[in-house]
Order: sequence, then structure tokens, then C-alpha cells
Amino acid sequence: MKALQLAAGLAAASAFAIASAQDKGPSDPQIAGIVVAANKIDVDAGKIAKSHSKNKEVQQFAQQMITDHTAVNKQAAALAKKLNVKPAESDTSKALKTGAKQNEANLKKLKGAEFDKAYVDHEVDYHQQVLDAIDKVLIPNAKNAELKGLIEKVRPAIEAHLDHAKHLQASLK
Amino acid sequence: MLLVGSLGAHAAGKTHAVRIENFKFVPERLEVAKGDTIVWTNMDILPHSVTAEQAKIESGVLQTGKSFKLVARKPGEIDYICRLHPVMKGVVVVK
Repeated sequence: MKALQLAAGLAAASAFAIASAQDKGPSDPQIAGIVVAANKIDVDAGKIAKSHSKNKEVQQFAQQMITDHTAVNKQAAALAKKLNVKPAESDTSKALKTGAKQNEANLKKLKGAEFDKAYVDHEVDYHQQVLDAIDKVLIPNAKNAELKGLIEKVRPAIEAHLDHAKHLQASLK
Repeated sequence: MLLVGSLGAHAAGKTHAVRIENFKFVPERLEVAKGDTIVWTNMDILPHSVTAEQAKIESGVLQTGKSFKLVARKPGEIDYICRLHPVMKGVVVVK
């Protein structure tokens, strides 16, 4: 189980690494695609946690992830429409989705405290990776000012989620 | 209860603005005088709240651009959080 979880974490990490390793950074449609995929993945993980966890704090955190990442994606979709940018797949968005599938498969096998720990540990890693990707890949490469602005506005949310997840992680030990 | 959640038309004192921005209360620590008004405004793209359970303060969910007003009634220190994002913390000191 640990190996699977690690694999899922590594897949997400390598997904963002692909983006930063590319000679030419992602295009705006690809950035939009990465933003949409990254948010949806955390909404889906939150839904699994809501239905699997019995821990009130984990449930509250999961609900907040669902609420916030759904709201961000609504705004991303509205902006993409306004800018006439069609979110496009990239190696990064594909690798993110593969990593998410591995994480989901791993989570669905776990119960109780084991589940809570695996979910929260992954949330810490995931939000850290998203934060790094925002700083190193998404903001530096976004060409449209409004798209860049949206990512900059989302960044503090990811940071707050990371802090929240870290607090939760410490409380579960 | 140290603060009362409605602003009367006859309220006296200064008005202090607290921006809820980038998932922080700005300023995080605010000193006010008794009778002053505090107005929190959510400048973020996601909703927040101003919540102090002990002082029985609850703004409800503040969407982007929405504000919440309070009049400081009694001296004391009020620690508050965003109920939706509990890592966000602020304090109002009523002198």
C-alpha cells in the first residue's frame, strides 16, 4: 500500500516535473488544462474522503477541498470561455490524471485511521507539488495577464490548504 | 459578548477596514476604541468568514466583495478565524 501511495505521489511530482523540464513551457490552453485537471483531481479525492473517513476534521477538510477547488474551476472555466481559450491536454495534465488514479485506487483499499493518514499525507504532498508548479511553471509561462492573474489569486488558497493539511497531518500522529 | 453584530444608524467612533486578501486578514491585529466600527471585506476569489465562537461572532459566508460590520462594545481581545479556512487567524483588541 505504501508503495502504491508513494507511486501516486511520485507520479504527481513527475507530472509537474515534465512541465518544468520542457524546453518550451506549456501554452495558455495547456496551462488552463493543467489548472482544470489539478482542481478536479482534488475535488475527486475529497469526495472519496467524505465517503470513506469517519474523522470529523478529515471530513471537514475534504468538504473544504471540494468547495474551494470546485469554485476555482468554475472561475477558470468562465475565464477560459471569456478569453476563448480551450483547455488542452498536455503530458503534465495526463500524468496528473494517471497519478490521481493511482492515489484513488490506493485510498479505496484503506479504512479508518489508515485511510485518514494516507489521504491527508497525500493532500500535503499534492498541495506542495501544486504550489511548486504554480511558482515554477504556471505563473512564469502564462502569457495572458488574466490567466496569470487568476493563478496568482489561487496561489494563497493552495498555500492555506497546505497549512491546513499539515495541521491535520500533525493531529493524526 | 464583546461585540455586537449590527451597526446602528447612530453609531459613533471611527471605522476600521480589514481586508480579507490572499487568505489573510489584513491587518491581522487591529486595535480599536470602544464604539468603533470594524468592516471586513472579502477581496479573495473564494468565500471566507469572520468567526469568533467564544465571542459569539459569525459573519456567515462572505462571498467575494461582500462585507461584514461590527461595532466594538466592550474592551477586550477577540481572537477570530475564518471558519472555512481555520488557518486564517486575526485579533481585534478593543481598548
